[in-house]
Amino acid sequence: MKRRRRLWGTTAAVVVIALLINVPWLNAILVSVKPTGDIARGGLFFAFSPTLDHYANALGMAGYPFPRYFLNSVLIALGSVALVLLIGIPGTYAAIRLGLGGRWVMNTASGLRLLPAIFFAVPYFLLIANIGLLDSVLGLIFANTFLNLPLGIILLSAALKDVPVEVEEAAWIDGAGIYRGLVAVVVPLIAPTLVAVSVLVFIFSWNDYLFALVLASYDAMPITLGAANFVTSTGIRWGDISAATVLSTLPPVLFAVFAQRFLVSGLSAGAVKG
Amino acid sequence: MKKQVLAVIGAAALAIGGAGCSPSTPGAAGASGDGTGLIRVVLWPGPEGDAMADVVDQYNSGQGKTDGVEVQMTLLSRQDTFSKEATLMAAKSSEQDIYFVASYNVGQFAASLTPLNSVDASHYFPAAIEGLQYQGEQYALPLDVSNHFLLYRKDLIDSLLSDSAQQAMYKTISAKVLGTVRAPKPADQWDLDDFKAMSAYFSKTENPDSPTQYGTILQSKNLLYNVMLWDDVLWGLGGSWTDADNKAALDTPEAQQAVQFYADIYTKKWASPDSAQAEFPETQAAIKSGSVAFALQWSAGFAELNDPAQSPDVAGKIAIAGMPGGKTHVHALAIALNKYSRNQAAATKFLSYLAQPAAMDIYAKSGGIPAMPQVLSDNQGINPVFAEVANSIDKYGYAEPVFPKSFDAYSQLAEDLSGAWVGSTPVADACATANKNLEALLAS
Amino acid sequence: MAVRSQASRARWVLISPLLVFAAVFVAYPVFQGVQTSFFGLTLQNPSAPWVGLANYAHLFASQTFGGAARFTILFAVLVTTVEVVLGFGLAVLVNRQFPGKRVVFSCLLLPIMIAPALLGIMFRLLLNGDIGLVPALLGKVGLTVSLFAPGSVIPLIVGLDIVQWTSFTFLVIYSGLQSFPPDLLEAAQVDCAGAWRTLTAIILPIMSPVIFAAAFLRLIDALRTFDVIYVLTGGGPGTMTTTLSIYVYKTAFTSGDFGVASAASTVILLVLIPFVPFVVRRIARPEGRAK
Repeated sequence: MKRRRRLWGTTAAVVVIALLINVPWLNAILVSVKPTGDIARGGLFFAFSPTLDHYANALGMAGYPFPRYFLNSVLIALGSVALVLLIGIPGTYAAIRLGLGGRWVMNTASGLRLLPAIFFAVPYFLLIANIGLLDSVLGLIFANTFLNLPLGIILLSAALKDVPVEVEEAAWIDGAGIYRGLVAVVVPLIAPTLVAVSVLVFIFSWNDYLFALVLASYDAMPITLGAANFVTSTGIRWGDISAATVLSTLPPVLFAVFAQRFLVSGLSAGAVKG
Repeated sequence: MKKQVLAVIGAAALAIGGAGCSPSTPGAAGASGDGTGLIRVVLWPGPEGDAMADVVDQYNSGQGKTDGVEVQMTLLSRQDTFSKEATLMAAKSSEQDIYFVASYNVGQFAASLTPLNSVDASHYFPAAIEGLQYQGEQYALPLDVSNHFLLYRKDLIDSLLSDSAQQAMYKTISAKVLGTVRAPKPADQWDLDDFKAMSAYFSKTENPDSPTQYGTILQSKNLLYNVMLWDDVLWGLGGSWTDADNKAALDTPEAQQAVQFYADIYTKKWASPDSAQAEFPETQAAIKSGSVAFALQWSAGFAELNDPAQSPDVAGKIAIAGMPGGKTHVHALAIALNKYSRNQAAATKFLSYLAQPAAMDIYAKSGGIPAMPQVLSDNQGINPVFAEVANSIDKYGYAEPVFPKSFDAYSQLAEDLSGAWVGSTPVADACATANKNLEALLAS
Repeated sequence: MAVRSQASRARWVLISPLLVFAAVFVAYPVFQGVQTSFFGLTLQNPSAPWVGLANYAHLFASQTFGGAARFTILFAVLVTTVEVVLGFGLAVLVNRQFPGKRVVFSCLLLPIMIAPALLGIMFRLLLNGDIGLVPALLGKVGLTVSLFAPGSVIPLIVGLDIVQWTSFTFLVIYSGLQSFPPDLLEAAQVDCAGAWRTLTAIILPIMSPVIFAAAFLRLIDALRTFDVIYVLTGGGPGTMTTTLSIYVYKTAFTSGDFGVASAASTVILLVLIPFVPFVVRRIARPEGRAK
C-alpha cells in the first residue's frame, strides 16, 4: 500500500514537471482555439467561444498547401532516420569494434557538429543544385542526414562500447559471420540507443529550418517553413501560427509514442543479463 | 520486435525511394529565353503577398495566356525573404526569376540584378521610382510603399482635450517633464515634446488616473526596421545619417538628442518595458489590448486596428496622424529581375504588366498600397490610409542615404543603438560607436 | 579464427557507405566553406577576389565577434550543466514503473518536438506583456516584472533554453539507463538510506559515458544556439545576447558578407576542435570497457 502511494507520488511529480516544460505548447493550444479578437484582449481573457478557424487556416484555408508541407516533412524525417541508421550503424561498428578509424571517425563527426549550420548554407546550395536536387525531398534528406549523422555516430559509439565482446564472440563461435553477428546480436543489444537515435533524428529533421529555407522553395517545402508564412509583413497571425505549431508537433509525438515501446520495455537490459 | 524495427526501416526506405520522384527546379533555356514559359517570383506573406497572389491569378488566366507566360509565387516569411535571396544570389542561382527587394537593400542586391530601364515607369510616385535607382540605373519597380504614422486613441485624446480637470493634470505633468507648461493639443499638431509629455501623461507612473498603463511603446529591439522608425526622430530633430560632405554624422548633438529621446521615455517607464524587445507585432498587440494610448507605427498597421473582428477593444477608436517630428521615412517594396534568370524575356513581360495601372488597381483592391498616385486616389474608398500615404509622402517623406552597404548600415545601427534606446548603454558611447561603424560602411 | 580474417575485409564493406557519404556531402561543402573564407565573396561583389587573410583580420578587429564568443561559451556551459543535472535527475525519477508512465513519458519529450524556429515565436506569444499568458499570470499574483527588460533578458533566455532542452538530456540519459541491470537500480531505490551512496558509487561511474555523451551533444548544440534567441531578441539589446551563430547569420545574410561569415565559422571550428578528442576519449574508449 505504501509502495503504491509512492508510485502515484512519482506520477504526480513527473506530471508537474511535464506540465511546466510544456507551458509554451499548452499556451499554443489555448491560443489556437481563441478567436483573433479575443487573442488581442490578453492572455487571461477567455470568452469560451472556441473556434476552429485557425486550424482550418493551418490546414489550407489560408491558401497554403499545408497537407503537402506535412507530407514533405514526414518523408524528409523518415528518410533521414533511415539513412542515418543505414550509414551510421555499420560505419560506427566498423570504426569502434573492428578498429577502423575508431576515434578519428568520432572526432570528425563531433567536430562537424560544432560548425554553425550557416557555414554550410551556400556550399550546400551549390552542391545540391549541381546534383539536380534543389527543391526536392531527396536533397533535404541528404542535408538532414548530414546534419544528424554526427549525433547518431556519437550515441552509437557510446552504446557499442558497452556491448560485451563475449556476446559477439559467442555468436561468432556459433558460426555466425561478421554481418550476421552485427544484425542478429549487436543490433538488438543496442536497440534502446537505436530508438533514441531514431527519435532524435526524426525530431531534428522535422524541426530543421535553415536548410529547408536554403534548399526548398516550393515543391519540397516542409511544415516548419510553411508555418512561418503566418509571420507576415503586418505582424504575426498568432492564432494561425499556434494552430500550425500544435499540428506540426503531432507527427513527431506519434513517432515517439510508437518508438517509445522499445525504449521503455527495457528489453536490452534483459538481453545484457541473459 | 525485430520485425517492427524492420518495418520502420522499410517504411523509411520507401520514403527515400518515393522522394526521388519529386520534380526538381524546372530549368529554362538561355539567358533571355524565348519569352514564354514558367517564371518564379519571390514575395513575402502579408498584404503584399496576398495582393500579389490575386494579380498573379488574374495574369495567369488573362494576359499571361496571350504572353505565353505562367507565373508561380514563392512565399517566404518576412524575416527569411532577404536571407534566402542572399543565398540564391551568392550562388548565382537561376531558380527564381523575379526577386522581392526594397529601396533599403536594392544597392546591396544590384550586382545580381538586371536593370529595367526599358519598362515604362511613368505611373509611379517619382520618389518611389528614384529610391530604386542605383548608380543611374533603374534596378526595381515599386510594388508597395511603406511609411510611418502616429496611431493614437482618438477617444482618449478627445476626452483630454474636452475636460478641464484632465487638462490641468496634463499641464502639471508637462511642466515636470519639459520644464514648461503646455496645453494639450490634437495629435496632428504634436511635436516631439508633446509626444514626450503625452507619453508621461498616459502612464500610471506619472498619472495614477491614466486610462492606460503606459503612454506608448517604442520599437527598440535590435532589428534593422526599428532604425527606420528612430530615424524619424533623428530627422525630426534636424539630424541625418550623414552631413553635407557625405561623412557619418551620428556623433552629433541631434543624434544624441534623438537617442536620449527614446532613452528618457523608456527609462522613466512612460513606454511599456517590453519595448526593449518590441517590433511591429508587439506594437500592434499593445495598442489592441489598450495598454498604451498611442505609438509610432508603420502604415500597414492601421487597417487591422480598426477591424472589430481583430481588435474588438479598440476598433473605431484609433485615428491616424502624421509623425510628431514632422518627418517620415519612406521606402518602396519592389520587384526586380534576377541577372542569372534563364528566362528574362518572359519575366520582363510580367514586369511590364505590373507597371501598368490596371495591374496595380487589382493590387490595391486586394489589400496592397501601390506606389501609383492615380491608383491610390481612384481607390480612396477602400482604405483610409491611401489618402494619408499620398499626402505624407509628398509633404513629410525623406529617404536615408543609399550606398552599397546601406542595408548593412541599418543592421549595424540597430546593434549599436538599441542598447542605448533602453538605457542599458550610455548615449554618448553608443553614438560614437555608431558613427565610427557608419563611417566604415560609407567608405567601403 | 576465420571471423578475424573476415573482419579485415568486412570492416571496409561496413564503413563504405559512411565514407562515400562523407566524401560527397561533408568533405566538399567543408572544403568549399573554408575556401570561401579566403575570398571577398560579398553580395556587392559576387566576382569574389582572393583576399588572403583579410577576412580573418576583420574578425579579430571586430568587438562583436569577441563579445559573441564570450557570451556563447558562458551561455552554453551554463545551460548544459543545468540541463544535464536536471535530465539525469528526471531520468532516475522516471526509470521505474508508475501509473500513466507511457503518456507522461511522451509529454516529457514534447518540448524538443516543436521546431525551435516556431518555439521562438511561441515564447514571444507566451511572454508578451499585453497578450501573453505568463505576464498575465504574474500580474495576478502582483508581480509586474517585464521579462524583456534589459536586466532580465539573459536569465530569461537561459530559462527558456532549459525548458526547451532538458528533454534532450533526459532522453539520452534515460535510454542509457535502459541497458543498466534493473535489479541494481531497484535495490538503490528501495533502500532509501543508501540511495545517495548507490548513486555516487555505482550508478554515476557506470553511467558516465552516457552522461558525457549527453553533456557533449548538448554542449555542441548549445554552442550553435540560434533560433529562439534570434526570434526573441535579435541578439540585443545592443549585442547583449548575440551568439556566434547569430553573428555568422547576420554577417552572411544581412551584410551579405559570405567571406567573413565563413572565416568566423572556420575560427570557431579551429578553436573548439582541440577539445573534441579529449571528450571523445571519454565516450568511446574501446579498451576502457569493464569486462
